[in-house]
Amino acid sequence: MRNLGISLTIARRELRGAVSSFRVFLACLALGVAAMAGVGSVSSAMMAGVERDAREILGGDIEIRYTHREAAPEQVDWFRQSGIVAETVEMRAMARKADADRRTLVELKAVSDAYPLFGSLELQKGGAIQTELAQRDGIYGAVVDAALATRLELVPGDMLKIGEAVFEVRDVIAKEPDRSVSFASFGPRVMIPAASLPETGLVQRGSLIRFHYLIGLKQGLAGADWIEQTNKKFPDAGWRLRGVDRAAPGFDRFINRVTQFLTLVGLTALLVGGVGIANAVRAFLDRRMATIATLKCLGATTGTVFTAYFIQILAVATVGIGAGLAIGALAPLIAGKLISGMLPFEVPGGLYWKPLLTAGAFGYLTTIAFSLWPLGRAGAVRAAQLFRALIVPPSGRPAGKYIIASAISAVVLAGLAVVATDDPKLAGGFIAGAVGVLLLFGGGAQLIVRGARMVPAPKRPDLRLAIANLHRPGAPTASVILSLGLGLTVLVAIALIEANLSRQLKEQIPEIAPSYFFIDIQPHQVEGFIETVESVPGITKMERTPLVRGRIVQIAGVPVAERTVDPDVQWTINGDRGLTYAATPPAGTDLVEGEWWPADYSGPPLLSFDAEIARGYGIGVGDTITLNVLGREITATVHNLRNIEWQSLGMNFVFVFAPGTLEAAPHSIISTVYADTPEAEEAVQRAVTDRFANVSAIRVKDALENAGRIMDAVGIAIRITASVTLLAGVLVLAGAVISGHQRRIYDAVVLKVLGATRRKVLTAYVMEYGLLGLVTSLVAALIGTIIGYVVITQLMRGDFSFDTPAVVLTAAFSTLITITLGLIGTWSALSQKAAPLLRNE
Amino acid sequence: MALIRLSDLHLNLRSGAGEVNILRGIDLDVTAGETVSIVGPSGAGKSTLMMVIGGLEQASSGGVSVADHNLSAMSEDALAVFRRDTVGIVFQAFRLVPTMTALENVAIPLELAGSRDAFALAEESLGRVGLAHRTTHYPDQLSGGEQQRVAIARAFVTRPKLLLADEPTGNLDGATGDTIMELLFELSETHGTTLVLITHDMALAEHSSRVISMADGRIVNDVRRAAVGAPVTSDDGMTDERQRA
Repeated sequence: MRNLGISLTIARRELRGAVSSFRVFLACLALGVAAMAGVGSVSSAMMAGVERDAREILGGDIEIRYTHREAAPEQVDWFRQSGIVAETVEMRAMARKADADRRTLVELKAVSDAYPLFGSLELQKGGAIQTELAQRDGIYGAVVDAALATRLELVPGDMLKIGEAVFEVRDVIAKEPDRSVSFASFGPRVMIPAASLPETGLVQRGSLIRFHYLIGLKQGLAGADWIEQTNKKFPDAGWRLRGVDRAAPGFDRFINRVTQFLTLVGLTALLVGGVGIANAVRAFLDRRMATIATLKCLGATTGTVFTAYFIQILAVATVGIGAGLAIGALAPLIAGKLISGMLPFEVPGGLYWKPLLTAGAFGYLTTIAFSLWPLGRAGAVRAAQLFRALIVPPSGRPAGKYIIASAISAVVLAGLAVVATDDPKLAGGFIAGAVGVLLLFGGGAQLIVRGARMVPAPKRPDLRLAIANLHRPGAPTASVILSLGLGLTVLVAIALIEANLSRQLKEQIPEIAPSYFFIDIQPHQVEGFIETVESVPGITKMERTPLVRGRIVQIAGVPVAERTVDPDVQWTINGDRGLTYAATPPAGTDLVEGEWWPADYSGPPLLSFDAEIARGYGIGVGDTITLNVLGREITATVHNLRNIEWQSLGMNFVFVFAPGTLEAAPHSIISTVYADTPEAEEAVQRAVTDRFANVSAIRVKDALENAGRIMDAVGIAIRITASVTLLAGVLVLAGAVISGHQRRIYDAVVLKVLGATRRKVLTAYVMEYGLLGLVTSLVAALIGTIIGYVVITQLMRGDFSFDTPAVVLTAAFSTLITITLGLIGTWSALSQKAAPLLRNE
Repeated sequence: MALIRLSDLHLNLRSGAGEVNILRGIDLDVTAGETVSIVGPSGAGKSTLMMVIGGLEQASSGGVSVADHNLSAMSEDALAVFRRDTVGIVFQAFRLVPTMTALENVAIPLELAGSRDAFALAEESLGRVGLAHRTTHYPDQLSGGEQQRVAIARAFVTRPKLLLADEPTGNLDGATGDTIMELLFELSETHGTTLVLITHDMALAEHSSRVISMADGRIVNDVRRAAVGAPVTSDDGMTDERQRA
């Protein structure tokens, strides 16, 4: 205890004015902690927003969704007994301005009188929704998204044709409380009254229509109990029933995934910063060697000295972590403003303690993991050196206990990463990757330092000095390569992955992607549809397939809720899936197991299934899958497995039934149409939607642009966080330059005394930093390329091609930044007058 | 009663060029209260001998006993405590802690020993070296002479049995150096402290009761004087004129 007291006293005194020598340390730590705290806080704020506004987002205490069909009368009666009910019907439809030719795909929502149960639907002119939708002079009203008003040049009073019916546009929607929380949609919203729906002619058997029943439960009824009771009452209902605890499950999953990913990128920044922390601690302790030796000489034990300096490091770390946490805590406020337009709820401000505490813990653990080594080594300084003019910092490894303590803190750090990401597999992969890359860079750096030592001395003195500076004792070469290299590797890998993905998209889409998907074609319209499409010049290909939606309820006889499936295929059991049937294998079928059924098959239901999803379910040929189709359960045996090429954007179905099962179910037909010119694309869309008011056309380019927007948003987030990693690397480089400053001044003065011109000295420095930047870039380019290759070929299963400009630009940028920073740091060394320094020697 | 007893002391260090013999069989007894100057050319082993006596360097072989402590058998931390309680050291380069005030620099050995009145004693010690008015100054606000006086106050504040001084005037001008030496000798006498001093200055050495000459890791001459200022007498009782030269 007394030792702790004296250590505290020494720490307090030693900290006087020392904070300024910790600038890089503080910046590295604040940056990493801010990134992690910010990501965590924003994600928590979004989740809190969903939770707070759950009833508004869901549209009721309970939401029940049916696909293709309405609820059975006894079910509706039960809903009405339980509370107040609002009904909405959602589907895709074509909308056109009544007196114009322009048309577009919209997301249509027909709402009953009680809508909305919770929250308010805000209109730009401030009217009430039900008033605006009501019939006036025999014409129903419609309210539309601002995007549709712009696209079709609509103003209130204009007539809008949807299906067979005509509506008067009454206002523009400012806020729709229960609009599904997603970053993309297939079209702008049009809202009409439920009473008008029959007039549109859009409700046809098998059309892709979703009927929603929103229930505001009577007082005293608890959501969870009601759900349990209702599921027991109607065990085979085949609906999707959600309470407020699952108001936005897809959004929750998305946020969780992005948060996990960004947390790991933030952790990378913190790890890169950790190298800077280790350097800063070492540089600080090197400057304190005489003091440490003096204290030991005056009777301080190694433990007292270690504790005193450990306390100082923790105290400084607290400042950096505090700054990082403050920035992170403010992030929800800033992010809330930036993304408020994309979400139907407000992102609440306030403090989110859990992510802040986690980020703080990461900050302290990183500090400890990276400072124990230099601290342990500094404790070994020999007091006897006080009798010499030059006190040399101890080199090599610290005592075993410090190595063990460093290892323990690294393990705890890894454990926290697993807990924080809540995904042991992902975190484990990250940790293994991080350790691997650290080892690669550490080893690579050592090789380069040794290589520089073995290079025969060049004749040019400046080049000789530059190379010697790379390998002299105490040179920062290894740590700069490690830290700047890590940041650069992330950049190179991301640049390569992006280049490959965009190349693949560009290469594939024009050749094979269809122009349009036409949905909701009725079986009796098929002949007319074919005739219409074939009459348009420039149509090269058309495919059709029947489509009915169904939900998986059992896998191999086990209810899906009780079955564990691979997270990668979880999406297939979260909602409705498209089902089709075929007598013969669809073109391009790649069977990997089992046989295709005979074309004239008749017998018990058989299923052709996707091989990868089957693996995710843990089933194979011969196992059964039970689906609920329009309220009926169908159990089919998996007869064969196929590989599906999702990138082809053609008609790919996870479920293909053998003939004899789905034909009788009400279903519609979807068709893909391939056109060879934009004119043909436009013409076929007009021809089909003119003739069939109930058929909707989804433009593939629009869908891709939608996907592209999501990719862009995620890409920006990735690039921002990758830049944070690089910034941490640059900070480490700056730290190395600063800590070498005194030595550079000394070198410059001695060289000038010996007759070197400033230009000569400057050339030597440019060469040194140029060499350092160049080797760092080369190592980063190599490792980044390997990572990019693994991600593209193994994770994304694509073809990898090396993108020279992406890598060369990144490498050149790195070299330039190293030289620039190096020169900024050494400029003042060059202008140093020799006399004052020599007088002090 | 010998405060320092060295017997057949050897110290060898490994270097890139092979093993270097720094100390080669030193035998030395120093009685409590003696003032001993060690002289000799650079590389003779003077500083190393002082480091061994201060427990800062471990002998390769031979016996090292200081104030009844067998230093060869002590751990690094035990040696730190030994120095704290028994030894004061004054360096040529002062070695003050730059982030501590003069008072804190003097108090730190007492604080390390857990003394409750560290600051009162430190203030008194600073007063004795004539720096009572400089207590709140940091080392870089003091002249070289003042810094060395702070170092002396620090060395004496724990009332050590042994004071080791390595060229204490080496970084000071002549007049300041003289003042410092007077202070050192005076305080040693007042406290009854045994003083071991390394110096190149023969005039300074003559102030000691004993002058030991070293060369090439060995003691080549050991001269005791009856009183300060009296002729220097070697171990065999002969007056050593070479030392005067």
